[in-house]
Amino acid sequence: MALLSGRRGYRPPPVRGLFADRPKPAPDVVMFAVMAGLLALSAVMVYSATFIRDAEGGGGAFGSMTRQMIFAGAGLAVFIVASLVDYRDYRRLLPYIYGLIMLGLIVVLFFPPVKGANRWIPIGAFQLQPSEFAKVALVVVLAGVLARAREEGMRWRRMGAALALVALPCLLIFIQPDLGTMLSVMFLTAGMLFAAGLSFRQLAVLLAAGAGGTAAVLRLGLLQEYQINRLSGFLDQSVDLQGMNWNINQSKIAIGSGQMFGRGLLEGTQTGLDFVPSQTTDFIFTAVAEQLGFFGGLAVLLVYVFLIWRILMISAATPDRFGSLIAVGMASLLAFHIFINIGMTMGVAPVTGLPLPFMSVGGSAIIAMSAGLGIVNSVWRTRSPLPPELSQRA
Amino acid sequence: MKSVKSPAGEAGSGGLAVRFGWRVAVLAALFTGLFVVLFFRLWFVQLVEGEELARQADANILTLEYLEAPRGSILDRNGIPLAVSTSRIVLEVDRSALPVERENDVIQRLASLLQVTPVEIRSLLEAAGSGNVAVISDMDIDADAAYQIIEQRRTLPGVAVRILPVRQYLQGELMGHVLGHIGLPDQEDLERLPNIDAETVVGKQGVELEYDEFLQGDLGRISYRQAPNGEILEEVGQIDPVPGDTVHLTLDIPTQQVVERVLVEAVDLSNSLKEETPPEDPSRIPQPTERAAALVLEVNTGEVRAMASYPTFAPQAFVGGIDIRTFEELSEKQSFNNLVIQGLKPPASTFKAVTYVTALEENIFPEGAASAEDSIECSAQLEADFVDQSQLVWRNWTYPEDDGRQNLHGAFQRSCNIYFWEIALSVWRAYSHTDQEDLVQQWADQIGFGRRSQVDLPFENPGVLPDRELFERWRRTQPWRVRPEGWLGGDLMSLVVGQGSILSTPLQLAVAYASLVNGGVVYQPWVVDRVADSDGELVLDNTPRVLRTVDISPAAVESLKRDLAEVVQSGTARKAFEEMGPLSARISGKTGTAQSFTDQDGVYHDSTAWFAGLVPADDPQWVVVVMVDEGGSGGAVAAPAARAIMQHLLQVPVTPLEAGEETER
Repeated sequence: MALLSGRRGYRPPPVRGLFADRPKPAPDVVMFAVMAGLLALSAVMVYSATFIRDAEGGGGAFGSMTRQMIFAGAGLAVFIVASLVDYRDYRRLLPYIYGLIMLGLIVVLFFPPVKGANRWIPIGAFQLQPSEFAKVALVVVLAGVLARAREEGMRWRRMGAALALVALPCLLIFIQPDLGTMLSVMFLTAGMLFAAGLSFRQLAVLLAAGAGGTAAVLRLGLLQEYQINRLSGFLDQSVDLQGMNWNINQSKIAIGSGQMFGRGLLEGTQTGLDFVPSQTTDFIFTAVAEQLGFFGGLAVLLVYVFLIWRILMISAATPDRFGSLIAVGMASLLAFHIFINIGMTMGVAPVTGLPLPFMSVGGSAIIAMSAGLGIVNSVWRTRSPLPPELSQRA
Repeated sequence: MKSVKSPAGEAGSGGLAVRFGWRVAVLAALFTGLFVVLFFRLWFVQLVEGEELARQADANILTLEYLEAPRGSILDRNGIPLAVSTSRIVLEVDRSALPVERENDVIQRLASLLQVTPVEIRSLLEAAGSGNVAVISDMDIDADAAYQIIEQRRTLPGVAVRILPVRQYLQGELMGHVLGHIGLPDQEDLERLPNIDAETVVGKQGVELEYDEFLQGDLGRISYRQAPNGEILEEVGQIDPVPGDTVHLTLDIPTQQVVERVLVEAVDLSNSLKEETPPEDPSRIPQPTERAAALVLEVNTGEVRAMASYPTFAPQAFVGGIDIRTFEELSEKQSFNNLVIQGLKPPASTFKAVTYVTALEENIFPEGAASAEDSIECSAQLEADFVDQSQLVWRNWTYPEDDGRQNLHGAFQRSCNIYFWEIALSVWRAYSHTDQEDLVQQWADQIGFGRRSQVDLPFENPGVLPDRELFERWRRTQPWRVRPEGWLGGDLMSLVVGQGSILSTPLQLAVAYASLVNGGVVYQPWVVDRVADSDGELVLDNTPRVLRTVDISPAAVESLKRDLAEVVQSGTARKAFEEMGPLSARISGKTGTAQSFTDQDGVYHDSTAWFAGLVPADDPQWVVVVMVDEGGSGGAVAAPAARAIMQHLLQVPVTPLEAGEETER
C-alpha cells in the first residue's frame, strides 16, 4: 500500500495561481500507468485486428493503429492536464459545464446521421461524440449538486433536482438514439445518488420508477427496431446466427477459440479476418481474448477491477464530498461500460454501442475517459488536508 | 463522510488504510459482483466451450472443397478399354456469392469470354437447376477460356471453373448390360460409400455397381483460408484425388461383338420365319420377336467370355443424366434388363439333360425298360392315369406322328417327350409322397437351378425350381399360381421336360450344362478377372471358385456328351449345324422349345427358343447358351445362332444365320 499513500511525510511546496495553494501528495502514478498500459494494449489489439484489412486497402498495415496511438497520446496529455487542474475550481463552473453538455447534445442532432444515429459532429478527420464528454461532465455536475446533500437521508427536493438535471441530457441522448449511453448515465446517476445518501425509501421509489419507465418505453414503442432486435437476440442467442445474432455468435467463437493461452498475437482469425464486426471498437475485447486467451482476458479484467477499486479508494480517502462523489461517479461509469461491453462480447449483456474504456477505438471516448480519470487524480492530489492521523505523524 | 477516514492505529503500518463507508462498500461489492459474473462467463466460454468454439473458428476460415476422383477404367480381357474417365472443364456459378446487382455484368463478361451470347449463358444457368451452385457442364470450355476466367475472378464473383472427370464408354452399346451404368448417388449410396459427395457419380447397374467400391476413387481435398467475403486468402493444403481401380473383365470384345450381332440376326431370323409361315389359326398369330439373350461360359472355370442381352442400351446415355424420354423408350422395350441373369423362361427340352443324368445315375427308366439301352415306343401321345383319378393326354411334339422306338439316347437326341414322361411316371410310381419324390429336383438344384449362380453382377434372378413344398407355399401365399390340389404327377411330368413352373435364366442353364459335362463341378460364374489400382498393383485377383461338386459318374458324363454330339449330328439340331460341314463334329448341344401359350388377355405368345451347346464336343471348353424369347423353335432359331457363335469360338468364318429344323413344336 506504500504506493497508494505517496511518499510519507512529504509536503510539496505551495503552488499558486491555477493550481491549488495547499500542500499536495504526489499524483497517482499507478492510475496513470494502468491507463497507459491499457492504451498500449489497445494499440496492439487494434493493429492485430486491422493489419490485414488495412494492408489490403492499400493504406499500410499500421493505419488504424497509428490513429489509435495518436488518440492514446492525446488521452494521456488530457489526463495530465486534468490532474493538474484543481477539481474544486469546477464547482464554480457547474452551470457552464452543464450548459456545454446541453449545447453539445443539441448541436449534434443537427448534423447528418451516420448509420441512422445523430451521434457525431464531424470536425475535419475527427468525429466528435458529445455524449462521451457529456457522461464525464455530468459526473462533475451531479457531484456538485449532491455534495451539499445530507450524508444520510437525502431531501426529496435534492433528489428531484438531480434527476431533473440528468433527465434532459438523457432525453437528448435517447433521441440520437444511443440507448447504451443513456443507460450508462442513468447507472452513474444511481450510483452517485446512492453514495450521496439516498434513503431506502427513495431508492425503492427510484427503482420502481425505473421499472415503470422501462415498461412504458417498451409499451409505447419508443425503441428503434434494431434495439428491439438486439434485445430479443440477447434473450435467445441460438437463433438467426447468420443475421440478428451474427455479432454475438462470432464474438463468442472468437473468445472461446482463444481457450487457455490464446491463439497467439496476430493469429486471431475471427478478429483479424473481420468475422467479428466492430472488432476494433465495441468488440475489441474479442481480439484480446482470442489472441491472448483466458490469461490475457483475465488480466484485462483484473486491471479494470484494480482501476475501479483504486478510484473507490480515492473516493473513500477524500474528505471533500464533491471530490469523493466525482470518484464514485467515475467508478460507476467505468464499471457499467466495462460490464456491458465485455458482457456483450460473451453474451451476458445485450449488444450496445458502449466502448470499452481505454481499449476501444474512438477518440472522444478515450479523451473523455482520460479527462475523467485525470479529474479523479486531481481529487487524489488535492485531498489534503491529509487525514489527521497522517498529518500528525508527519 | 467522516467514517471513511482511517483509524489512527492502522495508519501506523505505513500505508494509507482506507475504510469504505458502507455506501461505497456496497457499490464496491456490486461492481465486484459484476466482474465475478464476467470472470465466470469468460472461464465458461474459453475453457469449457473453448474447444468446440475453436473448431467453429477453424471451420469459419477453412473452406474445404472436394476434388472428384476419376472413376477407374473397365477393360476387356485383352486390356482394350471399354469405359474410361476423361476430364472436362465445367463452369460453376455460386449464386450465393454473386450479388444480384452484378449478375448482368457477370453474365456479359462470361459471354464474351466464352464467345457465346448472354442469352445462352442465362438459359444454361436456368437449366442447371435452382440450387446455390449451378454446374454448367454441357458447354465446351477450352483451356484458354478457363484460364481467363480464373485470371479475372475478381470481376466474376461466384464464378469458378472446375475440372470434372466424365465417364466415357468407348464401345457404344457393346457390353452395355455387363458394364451397367452410372448415376448420381441416392441416400443409400451415400451411406454405402463414405468417401463420396453428392456430385460423385456412382455405379447403378452391372459391373459399374458391383465393383463400385473399386471403381470409385478417393476424393481429393483442397482447403483454403477464406475471408468472410469469400475471398481466398491462401491454399492450406491439397490432397490429390486417387483414381479408381482398373477392372479387367473376363469378356473379350471380339467374342462379345459376334454374340451381340448374332442376337440381332437371330431376332430377325425369327421374325422372318414368323412372316414366311403364318399360322392357319388366326388366334395363333404370334407377337413379333423382340428379345434374346446369349452367353459364352468357360466350362472348366466359370469365366464368362461373352454375355449379351437384346435389346440393349448405350451406357453413355446415363452420363450427365439420361433424358426422360430416352429412358422411358428403353424401359418400354425392357432394354435395361440383362436377360442372361434376369430373364426367366422354362428351359424346355434343354432340361432333359438333367432328367437324362438323373435316370442314368438313379437307374430309373420307363416302365418296360431296364436300362438306358432298352427302348420303348415313342408314340404320338401318352395317356396317364394318376392316383387322383385325373386322366390326361400328353402329346409328343411329333404328334400326330409317332417317333419310333427309342432308348434313352435316341429319346434324348430326338427330344422324345414320351420317353421322359415315362421316366417321370416311374419316379412318381416309385417315390411319390416319399422324400425321394424330388429326385430330379435334387439333381437340378445341385447344378444350379432355382438358385442364384452368384455371378458378380447385381440383380440376378434365382429362377424357380418347383416341388411339392414350393407348391404348398404358393398355395398359401399366391394361390392363383397353382391348382388347389397342389403338387401332382403331371407337374413332375412337365418338369422333366423343362416345362410348367420351372423357370431358368440363360446363365443358370449354362452353369448347369458346364457342370454336367465337366464331371460335376459347379463353378461360380464371373465377369471380372482382376482389379488393379492406379499403380498397377493387383487389389483383387479372381480365380475359379467351386460352389459345389456333384457326384456324377464318368460313364454318365461320357454318355451325355456322346448324345449331345448326336443331337447336332443327327438329332434336332442337325440342320442348324449342317452349314459347318465336318466341323460340326466338334459341336454338341441340346435344343429346347418352351411351350407357346395364350395369356389372359388372349394374346398368343410363341414358344421360346433355346439352345445350349458345347464346344469342342469331346472335351468341352465353352458352353454357349442362346435364348430367343418367343422366338419359335429352338432347332430353327436358337441353334443356328449358337452355331454362328461357335464358329467364332472355333476361329472359322462366321456365316450368316439360316433357319434350322422346326422341332419340338
